[in-house]
Amino acid sequence: MKKLNVVLPLMLILSMLLVSCQATPTPANDKLGEILSRGTLLISTDPAYPPQSELVENAQRPANTKCTSDQRTAAELHGFDIDVAVEIAKRLGVEPCFTTPDWTLIVAGNWADRWDISVGSMTITPERMENLYFTQPYYTTPAAFFVHNDNTTFTQPSDLSGKKIGACTGCTYDFYVAGTLQIPGETMNYVVTDAAFTGYETDLNALQDLALGDGVRLDAVLTAQPTGAGVISDGLPLKQLGDPVFFEYLAAAVDKASGKDPKPFVEKATELINAMHADGTLLKLSQQYYNLDLTTSAGEFDLSQLKQW
Amino acid sequence: MSVETAPPLGADFTDPDMAMGLQFIAQERRIRLAHMFQVGLVWLVLVVIFSFALLLMNIDPAYIVDHIDFVLKGVWVTIGVSLASIIIASVLALFGALGRLSGNPIADGISGFYVSVIRGTPLLIQIYIIYLGLPQIGRQLQIAGFQQLGSVFTLSAIQSGILALSLNYGAYMTEIFRAGIQSISHGQREAAAAIGMTRWQMMRRVILPQAVRVIIPDIGNQFIAMQKDSALVSVMGIWEITYRANRLARQESKFMEMFLLAAALYFILTIISTFFQSRLERRLAHAYER
Repeated sequence: MKKLNVVLPLMLILSMLLVSCQATPTPANDKLGEILSRGTLLISTDPAYPPQSELVENAQRPANTKCTSDQRTAAELHGFDIDVAVEIAKRLGVEPCFTTPDWTLIVAGNWADRWDISVGSMTITPERMENLYFTQPYYTTPAAFFVHNDNTTFTQPSDLSGKKIGACTGCTYDFYVAGTLQIPGETMNYVVTDAAFTGYETDLNALQDLALGDGVRLDAVLTAQPTGAGVISDGLPLKQLGDPVFFEYLAAAVDKASGKDPKPFVEKATELINAMHADGTLLKLSQQYYNLDLTTSAGEFDLSQLKQW
Repeated sequence: MSVETAPPLGADFTDPDMAMGLQFIAQERRIRLAHMFQVGLVWLVLVVIFSFALLLMNIDPAYIVDHIDFVLKGVWVTIGVSLASIIIASVLALFGALGRLSGNPIADGISGFYVSVIRGTPLLIQIYIIYLGLPQIGRQLQIAGFQQLGSVFTLSAIQSGILALSLNYGAYMTEIFRAGIQSISHGQREAAAAIGMTRWQMMRRVILPQAVRVIIPDIGNQFIAMQKDSALVSVMGIWEITYRANRLARQESKFMEMFLLAAALYFILTIISTFFQSRLERRLAHAYER
């Protein structure tokens, strides 16, 4: 049994060594150099959120792919985020490969270089900036007020001051109505004041209540423009009131704790996304997936305001 | 004085006790058959009620049929992860049990600590810690200058999953192995010691071969439980049954359809495992049959 005391730790160390056959030395010591020399861009996406990212059934992996067997090729996934990621990889001159961890693991940071970048419609928030670097936003979720079709007295969002407004509890829309919302890089303009706020489990419950009639339970609902447009196309008798009142900026993110210097890569990704804004690539994708222009205001976002470096 | 002898047994001889015994056996069999029939009837009623409940759920069977292929591809991943994990867990459990029984305070302490920590924490949390936490230790080691050693700590999703399942089940199985080894009577140890065997020889040639027979049914049970627990590794984005069913369900909000399909696949997997388990048990019991 004496021998066993030596064998036991040895076995443990050996088994740990055996399962770790991925220590491939790379010449470059920054993230961008590593990606270029590897020839693949590893992107994380959680295909749980159509139309941003979803699975493709019966997909054929290209025979000549450089993606490893536990990575997914672009053919196996579909959506707005996927198309943006593929375009970024194309402009870098490398092949896009996807990993599909749970959303929790993506926003947690500390990716241990398992993947290079998240192109996953991530809202820029101060909390996430602790762990992650953000690129130029590639689109936005505009927040807009919706009112009942029958209403004729409201012509602009500021008319809603003192009225009954509904939204999801504890979300950004709740904080906007309360006048406490903070979004990095954006100066808030609270056009509605002293509203009687009603909180709901989700935005959809609020919209259903508004659809009961003008002023029956609610005068207006503050929600994401695509969400409102979605229920209107599903037949609810609602309409958007004026322009969006604020924007949530959705960007690609890179791990701060990467073993390789991520800064040149974040800058390169920002440059590519700016180019995609400039030549209309992103606008075209936005029209294709949402029938809305969700990208123009993202292109005008001033990334330097985030003071990431 | 005559000596009473047993009458010779002939074809025409009938022992009244024997007849009674046969009658008794026949009656036992009748009762057993009636019981089996009743149990079967209860199952049938339950299946009918269950099917009826499913019909009330407003599910779309055609959707299941159309998408079964995609989910089926995950079955091999589930089986692979479970098999690899049960093998590593068995090795861990063997060492854990030997450690506990060794009488050596270091080995006993390590093993006891391992079992107590792992059994006292949820598997999902262990998965998160192994996947997210280990690389952070590795990163610190790399900063300290141990490049090679540090990179060992960054496990891929599938490696993390197998490690978490192995560690978790290894802890539970340590106790199973310990009980199995202890079930071999002390006399056998004394006999082995008396003919001059070392402790290692005694373990290898006398104790373990007999303990395995006691342990195997429990390993089978653990394997069945593990197949279902392997669903948890889907959080790391391993495309096994649960991941494929869950993510596919979101496309058209067909959650019930996909979850029922996944449940059915796990159920079939465990039935197959149970079949093999009972065959293995019967084979190992050969020596003890009369």
